[in-house]
Amino acid sequence: MIRDITIGQYYPADSIVHKLDPRVKLFTTLIYIIALFSFKGILSFAIIGVFLFAAVKLSKVPFKFIVKGLKAIVMILLITAVFNLFLTPGDVILWQFKSLKITDVGLTNAVVMMSRLILLIIGTSLMTLTTTPNQLTDGLETALKPLNKIHVPVHAIAMMMSIALRFIPILIEETDKIMKAQMARGADFEHGNLIQRAKNMVPLLVPLFVSAFRRADDLAMAMEARCYNGGDGRTKMKPLRYGKADYITYGAAIVFLVLVVVARINFPWPQ
Amino acid sequence: MGIIKAKGLVHEFIRRDEDNNVESITTALDHVNLDVKEGQFIAILGHNGSGKSTLAKHINALLAPSEGTIWVDDMDVSKEENVIPVRKRAGMVFQNPDNQIIASVVEEDVAFGPENIGVPTEEILERVDFSLKSVGMTKFRQHSPNKLSGGQKQRVAIAGVVAMEPKCIVFDEPTAMLDPNGRKEVIKTAHKLNREKGVTILLITHYMEEVVDADYVYVMEKGHIVMDGTPRDIFSRVDELKAHRLDVPQITLLADNLRKAGLEIPAGILTREELVDAIMKISVRADMKSIAKSALKRMENRKEAVGEEKVVFSPVTKKDPASSILMDHVNYCYSEGTAYQIQALKDINLEIDKGQFIGIIGHTGSGKSTLIQHLNGLIKATEGNIYFNGEDIYDKDYDMRKLRGKVGLVFQYPEYQLFETTVFEDVCFGPKNQGLERKDVELRAFEALKNVRFPEELFDQPPFDLSGGQKRRVAIAGVLAMKPEVLILDEPTAGLDPAGRDEILDLIADMHRELGITVILVSHSMEDVAKYVDRIIVMNQGSVMYDDVPKEVFRHYKELEQVGLAAPQVTYLMYELAEKGLSVDLTAATVAEATRGILAAL
Repeated sequence: MIRDITIGQYYPADSIVHKLDPRVKLFTTLIYIIALFSFKGILSFAIIGVFLFAAVKLSKVPFKFIVKGLKAIVMILLITAVFNLFLTPGDVILWQFKSLKITDVGLTNAVVMMSRLILLIIGTSLMTLTTTPNQLTDGLETALKPLNKIHVPVHAIAMMMSIALRFIPILIEETDKIMKAQMARGADFEHGNLIQRAKNMVPLLVPLFVSAFRRADDLAMAMEARCYNGGDGRTKMKPLRYGKADYITYGAAIVFLVLVVVARINFPWPQ
Repeated sequence: MGIIKAKGLVHEFIRRDEDNNVESITTALDHVNLDVKEGQFIAILGHNGSGKSTLAKHINALLAPSEGTIWVDDMDVSKEENVIPVRKRAGMVFQNPDNQIIASVVEEDVAFGPENIGVPTEEILERVDFSLKSVGMTKFRQHSPNKLSGGQKQRVAIAGVVAMEPKCIVFDEPTAMLDPNGRKEVIKTAHKLNREKGVTILLITHYMEEVVDADYVYVMEKGHIVMDGTPRDIFSRVDELKAHRLDVPQITLLADNLRKAGLEIPAGILTREELVDAIMKISVRADMKSIAKSALKRMENRKEAVGEEKVVFSPVTKKDPASSILMDHVNYCYSEGTAYQIQALKDINLEIDKGQFIGIIGHTGSGKSTLIQHLNGLIKATEGNIYFNGEDIYDKDYDMRKLRGKVGLVFQYPEYQLFETTVFEDVCFGPKNQGLERKDVELRAFEALKNVRFPEELFDQPPFDLSGGQKRRVAIAGVLAMKPEVLILDEPTAGLDPAGRDEILDLIADMHRELGITVILVSHSMEDVAKYVDRIIVMNQGSVMYDDVPKEVFRHYKELEQVGLAAPQVTYLMYELAEKGLSVDLTAATVAEATRGILAAL
């Protein structure tokens, strides 16, 4: 199950999309989400579909791989669809059983919500699939730099994110080790009711926290020893620089949004 | 004036309670004077808690002195405005390879330092190239540090420091958490930097064999520098070193033994070649021969009198199928059926009889840790069967938790699993899980703590405040309290200083004798194991390579070397002497055996 979730995974490939500046990808994804929640009618839907399809083709990520990521949210999709389908009031009742009824509005709502969610997941996972977590934090840091002026510690947040990314696998390994060590002392993590199980987690969580704090302490010292002094006056080995493709993508994203909005205003059918 | 100079350096750790009143003062450094010339390779030795790491942190301005002054490149470290310039000049490599790598990609981590000090982009790229090259890690540039071995991670950390172009690098126990191969990699890299780039190196360690090639050695104890001199100088003072809880390389110890027996061997022998030459030189002299004879006789007499020498354990090798572990064609695959499939164990057939003291040896990744986790059912074999006391542990109605009580497993760095508020409660955890009455639980815990010789007045202390060695005892007691029939210990000496290592190994040997339990000791150090066990199983690439008594295993010292394991130093020495025509006892594996062997051969 966990392995099926492709959101947040990176798919290495050599494509134009992979090489784009992370800021561009963040911006385009944002535009894409705005478009997704403002479209109305079959024409704007088609525009979004074509845009997404083109992006996926350009990224060289196999379509199958992306669709696999949808498996994880099948339940959410179904629940949304069912609620929209049966619980939306409308003028024309197509089918009724006691208080449950399917109306025309409900039917369109269900279809629209389903397609929105599916497109949302595919679009956003395309971004994470083509951008390494490090590029992503880098992009966020640069893009959000103006917030520094209103005292948002952008650099510190980005640094925290990248350190978290580095230590997640280490802590998972450590959890596994401590779990085995406590199992060797007869601990039981699998049986019992919820409260008992929660209580049984204490021998796992205490050592884990102790070790996490020790690591944090060590790391802070190692960073200081390498002259880390916050974000001021830092340079970058690979500073983000816009290329031609990046400007073109910016343009394409804006044209795309305009098209969707125009289509929505002039051709909003069906509702 | 030297690059690092300390005068009357004092550092006190002051512990305060909640009301900010001083609770206790620990003096970690007590009037230390130091003068290091540029381009030198300096080693600082000392056992855990001797103050050597505190000293190192002063050189990098991570700690400020309570009294006295320390200058790095003529800058007073305690001045606020000097902190960053000092850190640029004096880099530092720490002990834990994982906790000092910041980025998720090797090259980005190396760039971290230069980025911090504002080096322009093009120059950062150049520096990263050249630093990775100087530690031999260019190939791994784009890799994630999580996929590297301990030695490789340390080399990345070194590259990260080199990229800041420091004049001096302080290594704070860089090898304490590594296996022998990793240790060699790191020490070699340090020497290379010193030789080729002229970087001043300060190596802090408790492994004596790492300081043999240093220019100058300081020995620290209780915050003082108690000895200093060239390695030869220091190593000729064997008894003094022992008094400071340090151990001496086997070869130096052997040379010292022979000299004390009256032979004319020069003091401060460091390498095998030197000792072979010295022995061959005196082997032709008649007067030395008679000295050797009488020394040997004296030794035999003394042995009878005090019964020194290691106690030779007589293994209870009863072929009783009802009291042993039997592994029958065991195979194990990680992530079976995926692209990452790794065959960790290949067709393992072993019989472990009750009461044996076994050493399992292999380097990292040889499958030894996987093997022992099979024995208490934490890992289930993908193929094959395991029988404990004649019962198949993979039977549907076999009680795994009971098995884990009978086959106790102490993991590597077991102190990390302590979690209770007091030592005593923590040891109670195992027996409590076995479902015993409170009274029995406490009795078991009490006995176990007594068995590991844990001082009674510390029973109610929180385990987190204890020293490393004490914590490890508590963790071992935690497993012992379940009254196992078999006790397995995975690298029980990792990270301890030499004296701590010997104490734990002696303790294990005593427990084996007194409690009559089967003990399986996993290690990558042949020298540690040779002294204690009566059977060695050598693991290589998931298979059993050798399984025999130590002497027989060491006979294959050449093959062992090929798979990255080394026989004890004295074994090599004996073979080299034999090659030169001296008919010595080739099976000697400990210093005592070798001393007798050489005296008898002369």
